[in-house]
Amino acid sequence: MKRALSLSALLCGSICVAPALADPVIPQFKNETVTAGIHSIYKGEWQYMVGGGVAALDCDGSGKPALLIAGGENKAKLFLNRSKTGGALKFAEAKNSGLEFDKVTGAYPIDIDGDGKMDLVVLRVGENKIMRGDGHCHFTQMNKQWNIDGGDAWNTAFSATWEKGNALPTLAFGTYIDRKFEDDPWGHCTDNWLLRPNDKQDGYGPRIALTPSYCTLSMLFTDWNRSGTPSLRVSNDREYYMGGQEQMWKILPGAAPTLYTEAEGWKYVRLWGMGIASADINDSGYPSYFLSSMADQRMQMLANGATKPAYKESQFEMGTTAHRPYTGGDERPSTGWHTQFEDVNNDGRYDLFIAKGNVDKMPDFAMKDPNNLLLQKDDGNFEEVGDKAGILSFKNHRGALLVDLNHDGKLDLIVVNRRENIEIWQNVSTNLGHFVEIKLKQDGPNLNAVGAWIEVKEDGGHIMRRENFVGGGHASGAAGFLHFGLGSQSASQIRVLWPDGTQGEWQDVKADGFYLIEKNKAAKAWQAGD
Amino acid sequence: MLRNFIAVLLLLWAFPVQAAAPEDVIDGWYRLTLNLVRHTATYSPPVASRAFAYVGITAYEATASGNDHLQTLVGQLNELKSLPKREQGKAYDEAVVLNAAMDAAMNDFFSNTGPSGQHALAAQSRLQKAEVAKGLAPDIVARSDAYGRKLEKAILAWSNTDGGAHITNLGFPLKYEMSKLPGHWVPTSSYQIQQFPLLPDWGKNRTFAMPMGATCGLPGPVPFSEDMNSDFIKQAEEVHDIRNGDTGEEKIIARFWSDDPGLSWTPAGHWIGFILDIAKRDHFTIAKTSATLARLGVAVADGFIGCWHEKLVYDSIRPVTVIKKYIDPKWETLLITPPFQEYPSGHSTQSGAAAVALTSALGDNFAFDDATHERDGLGVRHFKSFWDAANEAGVSRIYGGIHFRKAITDGLDQGRCIGAYAAKLVMEK
Repeated sequence: MKRALSLSALLCGSICVAPALADPVIPQFKNETVTAGIHSIYKGEWQYMVGGGVAALDCDGSGKPALLIAGGENKAKLFLNRSKTGGALKFAEAKNSGLEFDKVTGAYPIDIDGDGKMDLVVLRVGENKIMRGDGHCHFTQMNKQWNIDGGDAWNTAFSATWEKGNALPTLAFGTYIDRKFEDDPWGHCTDNWLLRPNDKQDGYGPRIALTPSYCTLSMLFTDWNRSGTPSLRVSNDREYYMGGQEQMWKILPGAAPTLYTEAEGWKYVRLWGMGIASADINDSGYPSYFLSSMADQRMQMLANGATKPAYKESQFEMGTTAHRPYTGGDERPSTGWHTQFEDVNNDGRYDLFIAKGNVDKMPDFAMKDPNNLLLQKDDGNFEEVGDKAGILSFKNHRGALLVDLNHDGKLDLIVVNRRENIEIWQNVSTNLGHFVEIKLKQDGPNLNAVGAWIEVKEDGGHIMRRENFVGGGHASGAAGFLHFGLGSQSASQIRVLWPDGTQGEWQDVKADGFYLIEKNKAAKAWQAGD
Repeated sequence: MLRNFIAVLLLLWAFPVQAAAPEDVIDGWYRLTLNLVRHTATYSPPVASRAFAYVGITAYEATASGNDHLQTLVGQLNELKSLPKREQGKAYDEAVVLNAAMDAAMNDFFSNTGPSGQHALAAQSRLQKAEVAKGLAPDIVARSDAYGRKLEKAILAWSNTDGGAHITNLGFPLKYEMSKLPGHWVPTSSYQIQQFPLLPDWGKNRTFAMPMGATCGLPGPVPFSEDMNSDFIKQAEEVHDIRNGDTGEEKIIARFWSDDPGLSWTPAGHWIGFILDIAKRDHFTIAKTSATLARLGVAVADGFIGCWHEKLVYDSIRPVTVIKKYIDPKWETLLITPPFQEYPSGHSTQSGAAAVALTSALGDNFAFDDATHERDGLGVRHFKSFWDAANEAGVSRIYGGIHFRKAITDGLDQGRCIGAYAAKLVMEK
């Protein structure tokens, strides 16, 4: 074989080139910040150098996501979605939604009580607010009724899962620096904590401290080995901890949380952990994780199969280091925040978004630090196209979401900025592949099937696969339709692996549609109000 | 009325207004220096050592300027030709002078620290300025403060010409011509920013006490060979075997001396840290504390310059590269392999230099406990002497899998040579 290759190389000489791989289609985004009707500034000094999240949720059954945007010292604002399907992005600020809190750092939507109306976990510098939605974009605080102590910490991360047999989700909260030590913050990380349902399943039991805690900026319940029981991945900011590292907690039903250890394969990794993105980006059957940080960002791929939580860092070979601004002339290292895998050009491959921005006047790091949009290519590696796609910005970015705001099957982008107004872009591409968007439903308390895996057959026989999770990113989360690109396919097949282990059938779906998939039922084309 | 007056006098007698002592001032600023070295991104080990040198010299000169028993370093350190003197016949307060000089030095040498570092700097400035001025006449405070800051500015001006003042891209060059010859260094990191070696010109910096970076040259690493029976491969096998068969103690030692930038006080700060503890434990005077810290700072800073000079001369390959290619493709180091050339070992050179300087200042067989990493959960280690510590720091790099043995033995030798220049500085008359 080696000889054959050598002969071939000899015959080719210098005129033969390897067959070119198809370049990914670059999506086109239009900045609609001025016209979208959103004005919200993440304001504040030291205690707001992190956070600045956004939550996207269908709060009124329309299907289209409203946006709750953290304001820091400003009040958080809920913006109702008035966009027409396929039209320009239009929002109107909600009045008296019940969410107008100050000191908000971020938020995650989750239907905690399984009533079909989306609730919100609002993270704050101070007491977290657990807000129950009424289906009409009004929210009521439920901390007392559900016996949830919102605490008094610098809250920066959240994730949730339904442990087997429970009527309510297990909630994990990540916290940052002890605010008492503003003048000497190093080594003063406060506890992260877990809340599990009480025995009656009508509220929550006492806090369970996740010690040691290392100044967390993102956490994610994720079924890393497809065992059916998610673990809690925690990304920590090495700037402030002592003796810390990245963490993953085993959260087994009824048992105290325990950390994965080096003996079990967990590697001793330390970074300025800011955000977690997760998806099966290489059709391996297992999730990969992208961890935003300062300078080189990290791409972690499962190294030794499901038996060990050992991850190989692959950012270098995959082209996702995103270590310094790719344009703008500032050559200093970058600072990454929200990160998210999505298919922005509908070609059936996961792409990667990273929000970027200087922490605050850190002269060793880029001040002009544009967000990254990295398209995955046929060979599995990534290519930067942020400027070509029209999302170039040099503001100080923090939280963000890629989400289909106008239900045209193309993912739009909202980014929260520190000390400046948000920015919002409509994906106005005209040459993208097909898509399908899926909403899950099952009986029982975990109505939206958090923890399910969705698989979609793609061109060339590969499977696009994602976990339905709550958490990750940087203080930002979305609930609602899950988006998949389909490339050139006019139809595809989808199956759902439900949280209880039930394996759904492969179901036919036509491209360019929205579907509601209920457990044990045929996929149904979705209509607004379903 | 009289009873009230007597009560006030009694109160003042019992609780006199007490300004901070110079010993508290130097300890407070040095503790912050260690934190800022850890939490300021440009402070790789060589850069940190430079800061320790200048901060130490500043503190020492501030102290020496008011102490007839201390000899200035003017004329002893390279190109330090003069420093401002105090006004004759005028009263100064030693703590205020020292505090002002260190305050200014910290704000200058750590001007690029992040928002939390800036907060900490501002808070310490505010607090210590108030503490040292307690009970003093305003004119003495003003004169002392102004002198301390003037002195620091002169040292800062001197520092700006040493070649190490401006660090960009965290110390990694944006362009660099890599050797393609076998046995030469290749990047070991998967971080894009670390594909060129850290601070390749650091060995050209002006040294402090030794004549120049090339002064303490070394014979070089074991010659590269692909022959599996060669000394070169044998030394790689040694690293491989030690790492694979490591005992718990070897792992503890490796991590104890790992001293990674951004995650610790760095190797130089490790030595500074336990000297601060010793100074407190043994109630050092301010003269002894400042002289010891300045001498140590000079030794480690010259150590890194000399070491980096040799690193560029030999441009040698790291064990992980050799072991993966010739011995065991799946082999992994315990510690993170530093993103620069292997020979000699930086920690060994600077620890050797530190041991010589400290032994000269404090004596041989000077036993101490090292609690540097206690808050990081790595415990406290006891050493019988400074050389005991230096030897352990050296061998820790084999346990960590990041150096061959010759880089350690030669590094310690180079440190012995470099540290002798720091040891020769005349400080206490």
